[in-house]
Amino acid sequence: MAESTEEVAVLVQRVVKDINNAFKRNPHIIDRCHMYPAASKPRLYHCMEREVWHPHQEFDQISEVTRWVLQQLIQENSLPTFVKKENLATFPTEGVEQIVQEEIEVCGEAAGRYPSNYNAWSHRIWVLQHLAKLDVKILLDELSSTKHWASMHVSDHSGFHYRQFLLKSLISQTVTDSAILEQSPLVSEQIPDLPKDDDEEDATAERHRVVDLSRLLEEEVELSTDLIDNYPGHETLWCHRRHVFYLQHHLNSKLAHSLMRLSPVDSSGGTLNDLNLSPAATRMTQAMDVDGLNDSNKHGYSQETKRLKRTPAQDSLGMEMEHRFIEQILSTCRNVEQARFANAYRKWLVTLSQ
Amino acid sequence: MKLYSLSVLYKGDSKAVLLKAAYDVSSFSFFQRSSVQEFMTFTSQLIVERSEKGSRASVKEQEYLCHVYVRNDSLAGVVIADNEYPSRVAFTLLEKVLDEFSKQVDKIDWPVGSPATIHYAALDSYLSRYQNPREADPMTKVQAELDETKIILHNTMESLLERGEKLDDLVSKSEVLGTQSKAFYKTVSTCDPHLFPGKPFLKMGPTVLLVFLSGYQSFLGIFSSHWYVSTL
Repeated sequence: MAESTEEVAVLVQRVVKDINNAFKRNPHIIDRCHMYPAASKPRLYHCMEREVWHPHQEFDQISEVTRWVLQQLIQENSLPTFVKKENLATFPTEGVEQIVQEEIEVCGEAAGRYPSNYNAWSHRIWVLQHLAKLDVKILLDELSSTKHWASMHVSDHSGFHYRQFLLKSLISQTVTDSAILEQSPLVSEQIPDLPKDDDEEDATAERHRVVDLSRLLEEEVELSTDLIDNYPGHETLWCHRRHVFYLQHHLNSKLAHSLMRLSPVDSSGGTLNDLNLSPAATRMTQAMDVDGLNDSNKHGYSQETKRLKRTPAQDSLGMEMEHRFIEQILSTCRNVEQARFANAYRKWLVTLSQ
Repeated sequence: MKLYSLSVLYKGDSKAVLLKAAYDVSSFSFFQRSSVQEFMTFTSQLIVERSEKGSRASVKEQEYLCHVYVRNDSLAGVVIADNEYPSRVAFTLLEKVLDEFSKQVDKIDWPVGSPATIHYAALDSYLSRYQNPREADPMTKVQAELDETKIILHNTMESLLERGEKLDDLVSKSEVLGTQSKAFYKTVSTCDPHLFPGKPFLKMGPTVLLVFLSGYQSFLGIFSSHWYVSTL
C-alpha cells in the first residue's frame, strides 16, 4: 500500500485513541465484538474498529489500519494461516476463517455504502490473497455470493473486476499439472485408479475436487449475456464480457500447454497435435496483458507455439457466437449507448482475428 | 440499482397536486432522510408541472433518474431511481400504477386530493417489489405498447425550466420544502463531499448537518457531535 510505516503508525494511534474514547462513552460496544482468547492489543482494536466509524476517516484509512494490524498478527505468528499441501487445503482454524468472513462482510457493506468503493473491493482482494491464501473453496464461495450483488450493481466496475480476479485466481490455483491430468478426458484412461481406503476417503475426495473452470467461465458468459440484455447501456458489462472472453481463451491455451507438457509428443496420437494456438489468441494475449497474466508463460510460449495450436474450428466457434450475440443486440436494442458499446465490442473482436 | 420514490400526482392547470407517494430513503443517513423525502416530493411536482399531457420523460440529475408519465387525463406518476435501474421497467411500473389508481380512486377526487384524503394503499408494496426489477417484471423483450423512442430525455433539471428561471428561486419559494431543507440546499459547493459518505440528494449541505448533530446530541445521548455508530 502507498502509505509509509510512519504514516500508518500515526493512523493507528488516532484510531486507537478514538476507539478508547468510544469505549469510555459506550461500554456495551464490547459485547458485540468477537474477543479473541488472548486479547492482545492488536486484536482488540481490530474488532473494535469495525464497530466504530469515524466519519472523518474513510474506509480506505480504516482498511489500511486493518491490513497493518493483520499483517502484524501474521508476522508474529499469532494467526494460523491457510496452508496448502500438494492439492490438499488444510482447513484453517476457526480464528482465521472468522476474520476472513468478517472482513468480507465489512467489504460488502462498504461497497454498498460508498459510491466510490474501489477501496472496499481492493481490501477484499487483499484479504483473499494474504489471509485466505486464495483457497479454492473460498474463491468459489465468493464467486457465487457476489453474483447477486453484481447483478444489482451493473455499473459497478470494481465489483465485476473482483469477479475477474476470482476467475483468474481459480485458473491459477487449479490449473496445475496434476489437476490437468485428472480433468483431461484425453489422458484420464492412462491414470491408474488411486487407492482409496476408508480412512482416506475424505482426503481423496478433496484431492479430486474438480473445479470445472470451463463450465464456470461459460456461466459467467451467460451472466454477462443476461445482464447486457436486461440492462442496456452499461459499459461495465461490456468490459466484463471482454475479460471473460479473454479468460476463456487463456484457460484453453493453458490447458493445451499443460497437456502437451504432460503427454509424450506423439505424431500418431492425432488429437493432441490438433490443438492449435492461433494468432488470434496471441494477439489477445497482448491486448489484454494489463494484469500481467502471462508473465510466467512467456518464456515457454515461443517454443511451444510451434507445437501447441488450437484447432481453427475452436477459435472461430467462440468468435462466431460472439458476433451473433452482437448482431442480436444491435437488431433489437433501442438504447443509443448500448449500440455504441456493441459496435466497440465488435471492433475489438475484429482486431483480434486479424 | 435502486428506487427511491414512487408518486401519483394530478397535473392541474397551474400546479401539480400530490395525491399519494411512497419512499425508500433507507440508503440515506438518518439525519438526511426527511429532507431527502421533501426534495423528492418537490422534484416530482416540478417535473409534472413542466411536462406536457400525454408525454413520458426521463430527467437526469446527478446520479438520479426521474421518470415521469403524464396521461392525457392529467393523472401523472413519477419514479425516482438511480442510473442503473432500467427505465423500461420504471415506465412499465408507472403505467401499471396509474391504471390501477384510476380504477380505485374517483376522478372527481383527483384535482383536490392529498395523501391524507386519497385512499390508495398499494404504492409502498409496489416500490418494495420493484426494487428488484427481475422479480417484479417478467422481462418481456417485445414491448408493443411502449415506444421507447418517444421518451424525452432531459440531461438536467434545469432544462425543464423556463428561460431565466432558477432552481434556487423555486426551492426558496416552495411550500413543500421545510426551512431546514431549504437551509441544507443553500450550503452547497463549499462543502467537502467526503465528510458524509452517502448520497447527497440535490446537493445537501454536510456542514449544516453537523450543526444538527450537536443539536440532537442531548436528545439522543448516545454519541457525540462527531461520532456515527455503524449500527445506526
